[in-house]
Amino acid sequence: MLVEIGHFALVLALTFAVLQVILPTIGFINHNSNLVQLTKPLLWGQFFWIFVAFAVLMNAFLVDDFTVKYVANNSNTELPILFKASAVWGAHEGSLLLWALILTSWSVAVSLFSKRLPSDVLNHVLIILGLISIGFLLFLLFTSNPFERLSFMPAQGRELNPLLQDFGLAVHPPMLYMGYVGLAVPFAFVLSSLIRGQLDSTWLRWSRPWSLIAWAFLTFGIVLGSWWAYYELGWGGWWFWDPVENASFMPWLIATALVHSLSVSEKRSAFKHWTVLLAISGFSLSLLGTFLVRSGILTSVHSFAADPARGLFILVFLVIVIGGSLSLYAWRATLMKSSNTFSLLSRESGLLVNNILLVAAMLSVFLGTLYPLLLDSLGLGKISVGAPYFDAVFVPIMIPAVIVMAVGPFLRWKKDTVVRISGILKVTWIVVIMMIGVSVFLIDNLFVLLATILFIWIMVHSIVIFVQRYLSKGAMGWSFIGMVLAHIGIGVFILGATVTTQYGVEKDIKMEVGETREIENYKFIFKGVNNFSEHNYQGFKGHVEVYFKGDKITDLKPEKRNYVSGMPMTEAAIDPSFYRDIYVALGEPLEKDAWSLRIYYKPLIRWIWLGGILMSLGALFASFDRRYRLRVKS
Amino acid sequence: MTMYTYFGLMIAVSAIWTLWFVYRPLKANKVNLEGSNIALGKQKRSELEQDLEQGLIDKSEFDKAKEEITQTLALELSQADGGLSTSSKQNIPYWIIVLVLISLPVISLVTYNYLAPKHDVEKVDRHSSQQSAPSSLEQSIASIVQRLADNPGDSETWRVLGFAYFELGNLEESLNAYEQAYKLSPKDPELLVEYASTIISANDNKFVPQAVELIKQALEINPDAADALYLSGMLAVSMKDFDLAKGLWRRALASLPDSSPDRKTLENILAELEVITNTTPTSSTSITVSVDISEQVRNSRSKDDYLMIYAKAAKGIPMPIAIQKVKLKDFSGKVVLTDTNSVMSSNKLSQAGDVIIVARISSSGLAKKENNDIETSSQIIKSSKISKINLYLK
Repeated sequence: MLVEIGHFALVLALTFAVLQVILPTIGFINHNSNLVQLTKPLLWGQFFWIFVAFAVLMNAFLVDDFTVKYVANNSNTELPILFKASAVWGAHEGSLLLWALILTSWSVAVSLFSKRLPSDVLNHVLIILGLISIGFLLFLLFTSNPFERLSFMPAQGRELNPLLQDFGLAVHPPMLYMGYVGLAVPFAFVLSSLIRGQLDSTWLRWSRPWSLIAWAFLTFGIVLGSWWAYYELGWGGWWFWDPVENASFMPWLIATALVHSLSVSEKRSAFKHWTVLLAISGFSLSLLGTFLVRSGILTSVHSFAADPARGLFILVFLVIVIGGSLSLYAWRATLMKSSNTFSLLSRESGLLVNNILLVAAMLSVFLGTLYPLLLDSLGLGKISVGAPYFDAVFVPIMIPAVIVMAVGPFLRWKKDTVVRISGILKVTWIVVIMMIGVSVFLIDNLFVLLATILFIWIMVHSIVIFVQRYLSKGAMGWSFIGMVLAHIGIGVFILGATVTTQYGVEKDIKMEVGETREIENYKFIFKGVNNFSEHNYQGFKGHVEVYFKGDKITDLKPEKRNYVSGMPMTEAAIDPSFYRDIYVALGEPLEKDAWSLRIYYKPLIRWIWLGGILMSLGALFASFDRRYRLRVKS
Repeated sequence: MTMYTYFGLMIAVSAIWTLWFVYRPLKANKVNLEGSNIALGKQKRSELEQDLEQGLIDKSEFDKAKEEITQTLALELSQADGGLSTSSKQNIPYWIIVLVLISLPVISLVTYNYLAPKHDVEKVDRHSSQQSAPSSLEQSIASIVQRLADNPGDSETWRVLGFAYFELGNLEESLNAYEQAYKLSPKDPELLVEYASTIISANDNKFVPQAVELIKQALEINPDAADALYLSGMLAVSMKDFDLAKGLWRRALASLPDSSPDRKTLENILAELEVITNTTPTSSTSITVSVDISEQVRNSRSKDDYLMIYAKAAKGIPMPIAIQKVKLKDFSGKVVLTDTNSVMSSNKLSQAGDVIIVARISSSGLAKKENNDIETSSQIIKSSKISKINLYLK
């Protein structure tokens, strides 16, 4: 009974979404403001029923209601309660329901926190968000219904993929979806402006904080995914240029360009074309990413053939969203007139260069991700595009972007001169050159040296601009602090990623009980392996003592688990610190009591995620800037 | 209350919510687009002046930028005239109220009825709510049979019944159920493969023509069906055509998503096939398994309980490779596992590589582990290198 109430609640949510689009549209046509003002209550109704549906599905997981096919396929009685809850979004159907819930949550947030936006504009934006919601609810109900029932209750459910039985994966998808779905808000603002033919300052101003918040969530979601992959997959890697990772990275690159482009459009009314196209492509890529990952296309190009209805719906939806919005853009392009000029050396040019580089970087990832799929689906053979391609193409594009990023905030709007810039940065550059000089003597690895130079470059410039602004008693708004923090995050990330890749030590070794190995001045003593079992898996637990300069620093207990489904899992044991991680994973048993072990020394690996968190915080700070609380008189 | 009564209540709540705001519309804020753009224009000018004070813009450029802000504002104000606006506050027409009152129940109920399960969900719910804990396999079968009595044309239920009987070890009933499902859905590749597997199991793991024909049909319907490709590979191995088997399993692997647990199994058997094709398999593998059973366990179990000792693959699906099953009263203290105890002729102990030896006491003797079973297992061992192992059941 309860399950059907959840099912019906989802249908009611669709009805509310349809009314949310139709009634206010009639109101706009008839100039009836009371009718238009129904948008918010209808949205709240939609949100309420989706929330009810979500809660019912969650309850079905918690009480092991295996009459629900989705529950029976992804959970069983032995699953710990946290993973029963996270199993709700552990597979396709439930994750789409989470998508729909987050989309309406964003819409509700926009409806509640946009008091400075004219009601008509706000209602128009909410209608666009309602249209997107209709697309998702139709997809959910007609091709991916999480409330599909079985005609009997099976004795036991299947197992949730063991990879998903982990805290990291319980929180990573919701955060990532917050970012993905958040990009729907600037998209809706753009579409609303294009439809109304009013590509003005209001749209630019009020879509900016939402873009920043969406970007912050997207960044944090990607960071969580990277952290999870590192400790859960047992390989010690933090980024694999895997198509699924790339699917989230592409909208991130575009959203990064968007938050910068918005700043120029908003303050100087320039780059409006850029901003519109970036908002459209950011959301389109996040849609593409979600569907590629969740439809299984990335792992098997035959998924469309396996479920033609789902594949067809995806294609139609993408064509409507991308084709429709680009057609609108073409129709309204002439409205985006701008007589604003800027010289080759100016802050506008700096941001334009960064935007171009970010888009070029996204295209390189797009090509490397989708080209093999295209070839495969056309039957032209299988090719593998991996880290060598991305390292060779992506990294060189990003280096100039990072160099420009550090100097950009010093540039003047509209026009600047090399003489002035070199004048004010003379001392800064002398300090940078001195530090680089010292680094050249201390660092023997070319890549690490390059990363250190970039790190110094960013840090020194960020500190100098912060101090300059502070001493000049200029405006130290949250926007400025956020920018500095996010730029420092990039520097921290670059150094962490390069040092851990270049100086990290990875040893696959055989160890007998009692045997000692020394790696990077750390002594590892293998104490043996024991059997152990938990409610839904059994396995082996190793014990390795770690010493540094004669002192025992930790006991590491890596695990090898065999879950009920038979899927083996490696649980690495990690001793984390700010400067380095010690990482031990249990390999295979060898003759006698010997085992193969993977022992990794990962210097500065935590800096990778620290950098990401700083970027994310920077964007959040920027979204709280006082200028977004402007009072508008009627 | 019936399900539709609840639906009626939900529709009523939705209608009341909507009509409340029809009669008491939310007030639009006093901000208009022109006012908003003017305020933003002023703020931009003030920020521009700050930029000038901080040296972020040159004086001559400042004047130009100021002029541009004015021009942009003028353009925005002219565009505002052409946009949508809803300045008039009219009452909401009655036909809109009628539209809401009709569309809420009609859209919702029509959509729900289109999507709703075709079986009696309230009956299923009643039945499942009577189960305080997940039912046993026998209880599930009884429930499925009852369901089929009401709806004998439901091929999915016949299929589930076939699978349940298979799990219970009743192959004859399993085959009957699958035959019924097959008659109803002869084009379902998954069903064809399951039916074929059951036929193979019922014929001492031999690929009889009926099973081969079903696999062939499954592949004709879906050439990328992983299960069908897997079974075809097994057939190829039984015919000693290892290259064909490799090709088929690689195709199966390519069609499985990365997250599928079956990938590991396929990767393992492909790796093992490589070993088999490169080396002459030895048939002399034997593992003597000694099992000590504590007094406490002995006293708590019936002498007619089964002791099952088996080797299973260390990776992938934990299907027994070689098994010995004896009653506790007949157990002498050890058993010897060899290739002759193999469950599948194509996957013998001598070829298994890494295995785990398991000893389990079970009242039913079923392959599926039950709640009151007692089990212990060894560490991972190499089947070709270890000849003796001790286990302790306590």
